[in-house]
Amino acid sequence: MDRRKLLTSAVLGGAAGIVGATALGSLSPEDVFAAEGATAKINPGDPDPNFIEGRITGITDTVLFVTSSDGSLHSIRVTGGTSIWKLNPTTFDEVKVGDGLYARGLRLADGTLAADSLWVNIVNLNAHVDSIGRGSLNLDHHGQRVVAHVENGRSAAVYNNTPAVSDMSMLEAGKHVKVIGAWHPDTNEITISTVYAAV
Amino acid sequence: MSTTIAALQPLLIGGVLLWSGSLKLFGGHAAAEARRTALSGLVGEARVVPAYRTLGGLELLIALALIAPPPLWIEPAAGVALSAGFVGYLVYAKLAAPASSCGCMGSQPSRVTWRAFARAGTMLLAAAAALLWAPSTAWYTGLSDEPLLFAAVLAAEILLVVGFSPEFDHRWLLPLRRLHNRLTHPLSGGGFEIPLDSTVTQLIRSGVYRHTAAALHSDVTEHWDEGEWRFLVYSARYEGRPATAVYAVPRLRYAPDDVRVAIVDEEEGSTLLTLDAPPAEDSRPEWVLTTATPEHVHTA
Repeated sequence: MDRRKLLTSAVLGGAAGIVGATALGSLSPEDVFAAEGATAKINPGDPDPNFIEGRITGITDTVLFVTSSDGSLHSIRVTGGTSIWKLNPTTFDEVKVGDGLYARGLRLADGTLAADSLWVNIVNLNAHVDSIGRGSLNLDHHGQRVVAHVENGRSAAVYNNTPAVSDMSMLEAGKHVKVIGAWHPDTNEITISTVYAAV
Repeated sequence: MSTTIAALQPLLIGGVLLWSGSLKLFGGHAAAEARRTALSGLVGEARVVPAYRTLGGLELLIALALIAPPPLWIEPAAGVALSAGFVGYLVYAKLAAPASSCGCMGSQPSRVTWRAFARAGTMLLAAAAALLWAPSTAWYTGLSDEPLLFAAVLAAEILLVVGFSPEFDHRWLLPLRRLHNRLTHPLSGGGFEIPLDSTVTQLIRSGVYRHTAAALHSDVTEHWDEGEWRFLVYSARYEGRPATAVYAVPRLRYAPDDVRVAIVDEEEGSTLLTLDAPPAEDSRPEWVLTTATPEHVHTA
């Protein structure tokens, strides 16, 4: 792919320029926020205007219509530079009505959110492993049963905060785990992206 | 034979009620457990703990009555009433407060599942059998008449009650499950791919990423592998213009110092910045504020 060739040669080939910090602009948070054009003053306790969570109720070419868990309605504008996570980094055509999402970006003057990142159906669970079935973990999440599927080649395990590996064999029934995963909408099943366990 | 079986039920029920009642009345965690149950919906928050303890006391009384002679018919009747009442309470708890703890036995919170109903149903059946077929027979008459049958039926019933009790799971069910997992390896077959999360963790621990992270404003947009490298692409802003940041991370080894970055303007096809090591003078972390703390921010 030409684009990938361009990007690959840019990062691997060519002279590695050691550039002064000024080329990237100031990196302190206030200057970054000021440069981003954060217009309205945000009071402590306000909801974050640049973040939306909810379920998708409509999709057009570039806009997602989302209903939040508190009932408010939002529209999210998706651009070519928006990252879309649905277990794997994917493209906009994988996003379906009925999916849940978290979105982060910049709230525009007309109230829509220009999304930088979307995480579709992302869940973060602290749960107790009841038992391990073939290719899945049966979790107890605050009294509810959640089935967490392991996808070969994709699901990773982090043991004791060491770098992630694909070997799931050190997970044990009866222990607690934290699972980041992708929810299967309207079911109690998820696919594991990363499971954090203590060994 | 059936008289023996029916007559020994008060011993079983009495034993279970002794256990349950003493935990409710004398257990160290009884107050906390009482508040976790659905009882508060029935008697109100303020009276939950006294109600729980009173119930424990009642269970102890009935247990002692069932075990100690004389064998009056009113004792298995009380057992039936108690068991039926408990089944009713479980139905109420399941419908009205499904997240509440069962509160049956022990201090471990356990949900109301089919096992709680099975155990309560077993108690009810045992009490009913005692009331119907041996209402005034002492339980110990079977001990001398048919000791083997007595022991066998009692042992089977105890195993049944223990099997239905989640409080004992950690002694037998969990070790069995762990043994089963050790033998069958249900999660194997995953191959030896390096997961994307492993590469991302390596990236965020590299000096090059930490120097450029403030310029990024998306998550990973795409990634691909080539040779010993994995390329991760993010969207970025460079000098106010939208750009693309591509990181090359060693895929098969943990070497965050080898991470390289290029920030590219894709529309023009020009490379704006490349780095294969963080600049030497940048030893200060980016999050250190360079300006004075604003007035409304108070630190400890």
